[in-house]
Amino acid sequence: MIPKVAVLSGFGINCESETMAVFEMAGADASKIHVNRLVNGELNLNDYHIMAIPGGFSFGDHLGSGRLMGNRLRFGLREQVRNFVKSGKPVIGICNGFQVLVKMGLLPGDEDVSLTQTASLALNDSGHYENRWVTLEFDSQSNCIWTKGMTRIRVPVRHGEGKFVTADKKLLDEWSKLGQLVVKYIDPTTEYPSSRDEVLPYPISPNQSWRNIAGVCDPSGLVFGLMPHPEANHSTWLGATWTREDIEHGEGEGMKIFRNAVNYVKKNIVN
Amino acid sequence: MGEGDGSPISENFVEVTTKESSELPDSKGNSIKNMLLMDHQIEVEKVRVSTKYDIRGVLNKFEVQKSVYDLFADPIIEFGSANDLLLNSDKIFPVKPHLVVQVGFKPGVTDNSGQAALDGLLTLFPSSKDMKISCSRTYMFWGIPANIDASEIVKKIYNPMIERVGVSDRNACLISDWPELDYPELTTLTEQTLQIIDLEVSDKDLIKISEKGLLALNLIEMKAIQANYRDPIIRLERKKLGLPEKAPTDAELECLAQTWSEHCCHKIFASKIHHVDLETGEDTYIDSLFKTYIMKPTLDIQSDVDWLLSIFHDNSGVIAWNDDWSLCIKAETHNSPSALDPFGGAMTGIVGVNRDILGTGLGARPIANTDVFCFGPPDYSGTIPEGLFHPSRVFRGVHAGVRAGGNESGIPTVNGAIVFDERYLGKPLVYCGTVGIMPRVLLDGRESHDKTPKPGNIIYMVGGKVGSDGIHGATFSSLELTEASPSSAVQIGDPITQKKMIDMVLEARDLGLIQVITDNGAGGLSSSVGELAELTGGAELDLAAVPLKQSGLSKWEILVSESQERMTIGIDPEDCQAFEKLAELHEVEATAVGTFTDSGAFVVRYDEEIVAHLPISFLHDGCPQLQLESEWKPPKHSPIIFPLSNHKLMGEILLRLMARPNVASKEWWVRSYDHEVIAQTVIKPFCGINQDAPGDAAVIAPIQGKTQGAVISNGIVPRYSDIDAYAMAAASIDEALRNAVCVGVDLDLIAGLDNFCWPDPVESVKTPDGRYKLAQLVRANRALDEVCRAYNLPCISGKDSMKNDATLGGEKISVPPTLLFSLIGNHSDVRKAVSSDFKEVGDLIYLVGETHQELGASELAFMLRDESNGKSGIGGQVPKINTSRNLSLYRSLTKAMSKELVSSAHDCSDAGLAAAIAECCFGCDSGVDLDISDLFNADANLDNWGALFGESLGRILVSVNPKNSEMFENSMQGNECNYLGKVIPGDEISITNSKVQILTASMSELKDSWKSTLNGGRN
Repeated sequence: MIPKVAVLSGFGINCESETMAVFEMAGADASKIHVNRLVNGELNLNDYHIMAIPGGFSFGDHLGSGRLMGNRLRFGLREQVRNFVKSGKPVIGICNGFQVLVKMGLLPGDEDVSLTQTASLALNDSGHYENRWVTLEFDSQSNCIWTKGMTRIRVPVRHGEGKFVTADKKLLDEWSKLGQLVVKYIDPTTEYPSSRDEVLPYPISPNQSWRNIAGVCDPSGLVFGLMPHPEANHSTWLGATWTREDIEHGEGEGMKIFRNAVNYVKKNIVN
Repeated sequence: MGEGDGSPISENFVEVTTKESSELPDSKGNSIKNMLLMDHQIEVEKVRVSTKYDIRGVLNKFEVQKSVYDLFADPIIEFGSANDLLLNSDKIFPVKPHLVVQVGFKPGVTDNSGQAALDGLLTLFPSSKDMKISCSRTYMFWGIPANIDASEIVKKIYNPMIERVGVSDRNACLISDWPELDYPELTTLTEQTLQIIDLEVSDKDLIKISEKGLLALNLIEMKAIQANYRDPIIRLERKKLGLPEKAPTDAELECLAQTWSEHCCHKIFASKIHHVDLETGEDTYIDSLFKTYIMKPTLDIQSDVDWLLSIFHDNSGVIAWNDDWSLCIKAETHNSPSALDPFGGAMTGIVGVNRDILGTGLGARPIANTDVFCFGPPDYSGTIPEGLFHPSRVFRGVHAGVRAGGNESGIPTVNGAIVFDERYLGKPLVYCGTVGIMPRVLLDGRESHDKTPKPGNIIYMVGGKVGSDGIHGATFSSLELTEASPSSAVQIGDPITQKKMIDMVLEARDLGLIQVITDNGAGGLSSSVGELAELTGGAELDLAAVPLKQSGLSKWEILVSESQERMTIGIDPEDCQAFEKLAELHEVEATAVGTFTDSGAFVVRYDEEIVAHLPISFLHDGCPQLQLESEWKPPKHSPIIFPLSNHKLMGEILLRLMARPNVASKEWWVRSYDHEVIAQTVIKPFCGINQDAPGDAAVIAPIQGKTQGAVISNGIVPRYSDIDAYAMAAASIDEALRNAVCVGVDLDLIAGLDNFCWPDPVESVKTPDGRYKLAQLVRANRALDEVCRAYNLPCISGKDSMKNDATLGGEKISVPPTLLFSLIGNHSDVRKAVSSDFKEVGDLIYLVGETHQELGASELAFMLRDESNGKSGIGGQVPKINTSRNLSLYRSLTKAMSKELVSSAHDCSDAGLAAAIAECCFGCDSGVDLDISDLFNADANLDNWGALFGESLGRILVSVNPKNSEMFENSMQGNECNYLGKVIPGDEISITNSKVQILTASMSELKDSWKSTLNGGRN
């Protein structure tokens, strides 16, 4: 059976077509699902194996990025979302989707899926939106099913509010210990692995995120979100410097993330 | 319920600010601090910002309190407070500020944050109807320099055209007397009853009627309308309908004024021109520039190719890109609104042109934006006429508007340009372009580029509601800008309302529900329904059904209001239910407001009352042709005075040229546009090892995973108009094509867009030089005709804006005649696309194309003029075009690219070969060692100035891997292709003419110079 992916849409989400495309390239069957079709009961999340919240500007990012969409899900779809996560199905939020997951409390999250917000994404220190390419390094010890076997990738960031912060710094240590701080901005000239906690200079860290955090997962490793856009590097010709590189054209560096999840579902859920 | 219970009109507010710390700065405050410093040289110590939401409606204090951290404030990074100002908290603001400024919108101005907050509050309290929210910002300043008057700062952060302001000065701050703006209640309008406009008056009074009503109709047009109402047949018909027999209603006159406005029907391009050329003795008549020089060549090309699907008649031109998909492209200008409110004007511009794409055929998806701006110099130090903003503020505002409009809509901004000239001080030019894509055939078998309306189709208005904003935009933009220009002509776009509508419309298209669609832009329903009515032969519109933002609008105002984010869509009666259901799902307003008919008339009712009845033929063909006079006499310019020089001084001249705003890096600005959403952008705005070297054209691969691409490029060189607008237009087209060639465009599938922005070319008391300006227009059009024919480059759509003058404080400022030429082309395989950066040390560098002594009106000429306080002139030979030579070269070069023989290619334009060399080096962090002596073979008059800084057309700087050099040289045979030297390690740019060193410069110093001019921020 082919894994079915619910790619949410509506209200200013705008990366749904490329997010659907990468899941299709990874061997899944992706559907564009307007959030209201879930709220009004026309469709049910239960019928899908993966949920993806793509990037965009839901509700124009007014009142804080991801805030209003997070509330629509937290208040309108609370039990559907909790059941989905508790049943062991993977969830990904990219950029605005990550902001939604953090604001609704699904990330960094907790064992009970209590939907309590514990972190946030603040305005970049630069004070504005930026589109530039970064290098990411993954924590090889993490149990995150989305990032398994990954070391480094190059992807674009395209956001104004991507600075990962929390109210209680002790939480960062806890999340770190559990492998939840799964992906960080890294200086591409260093050897792998070399991620560290001191904030790297701009623009290596484009937003001055605490501990260079680019993305996190929940304790189960099934819910994952990140500010950069792996779906935007699905093919080699979308790279930032591919015209300078001697490469064989094909799949881009971001695809592994989506393959990981689709393979996980094939192995553990749909058989 | 007890105390705090909400009464029906309870008033509450919530205020929010950042929990500032050393690791979490108030970045909004820092941005303001930075803006004051960078743009106005005002250095304050600290700025903080808070946001206030004033809530009106049935909500009790407890509910408001609960919503503070559930909705308004982020519990992790923000403080929120209900019904108590944050400034009263010593914990949050222990030191009293020295200045507090609260900025809120005027009543009726689009408040997107307020609207979003309302939506959020309804998620929390779904049963609370009839609420409304207004959002304002409070700026707190500490450490204002003693020599700066606080009012100076206030002026910089608000726009009196659309905003209100409350200020607490130092003394007020000491006693905690904070500003508190009232809720921006809309004043109740008193609806005017339908007026009858008596046209049986003197000619003078006819003009008065036009001027007083902002109708922008001239005497001949007013008389044509007068004549229509004298027609006995018309009178009889009106009598039968119960309409005033002998005079139009206000709604009719307004509808005619919109439809006949310069903005909507392009009267100057359609005029009959008597053209005299004093240089050649030519004396001739031209019947419509548009038909003669734009439409005719395109129709001639159409007879030879099969890919021109829809040209001229729709909202954008459509070409077949492959068997499955078609592409469309359109560019618009939004100049007058951007002068009055740079942010709102520009944002409305970009979301407006997106709707042109959505309204093409049966609906296309916008997939790429281009933005080209023309501003006054950002470092302008002269006086600014009353009523105008400093160019740096216009720049920042326009940029922010386009950024918000494009980014929030999820459409990448892939290409653009920014041009600076003092004459754009009066009116900035804001060109917004969009590319769209649609499946060629819908599931039900209809071809998507053809509209299929039938009498009986129901007319829906979809998207936003109608308000008093945006009344008279079309006619206003057809007038020059004055102090009296109405603020109602300015609107702020709402990208999210529009995004929801785009999602919904495209779904409706794919379900086969749409029969006809168009945008509600200039002229509102009057134009959109009026235009579509031509397709079926009539329409009936009921204004009483139109959803309104406020009560009390007059009938004609509902008809012509340009309130944003609206489409007009025709739906088959049996599909109406499905269409309305889809709109409800997407939370998009969709209301049936009328029916298409074949009655021959555009009939507007309010319930049963007929308010306008206009014969379709008179509405669309009744506007009399203008008769205009044109006279060409070449202008005289004093010659360039070249300073004494040697190779080092030449290096310094290049250093200064690289810092000129027209040449300098725009990276700081462009990076804040999303240029990669949709995951399709192959050649991006920047390239090179550090991704900071300038690209030429954009290449996108819009079908995920597929390698066929589209090329998007622009050309604009208004400087050359000072010598000859023919050369200006020819150079713009060649620049757009050259840029496209640099990335490897498929020359057999290219199409163009012409966007003219001209000063008023109609001779009058206000415009005594109208004949010359019209002759410039004639010459530019002739260039368009000749060059596009030669390049087999049909213009598939275009636009003109013909009143780019401003009279302020008695001073008239006219823009230089400006043509933006945009190009869309096919790319057969994006994996073979070429970027502009040199790739490797040791690569061989060639200049393809001939260099001539062409420095007239060049960037160098303007720099030397500025540096000599005008002693040095801009005169000399302006670049001449040789289309057959260029095309042959472009064909050979793109063929070499398809064989992967070319490592890099970069256009030579502003500041010539020397600037192009520097830019290619930036992308490789390397130097070059070049001998340009071979260039001198093509032109005996060429000197070192012309060789280094001349702007001859048809030239591309290319680098080639040594292993490919022989094959490359062979493939360029028959074309001018000169080997110059090599990419070398290190920092030195060295250029010789044979043995003589003529230019030496440090690449890194050039780069610093190039990057510093327009570095708009701290980082």
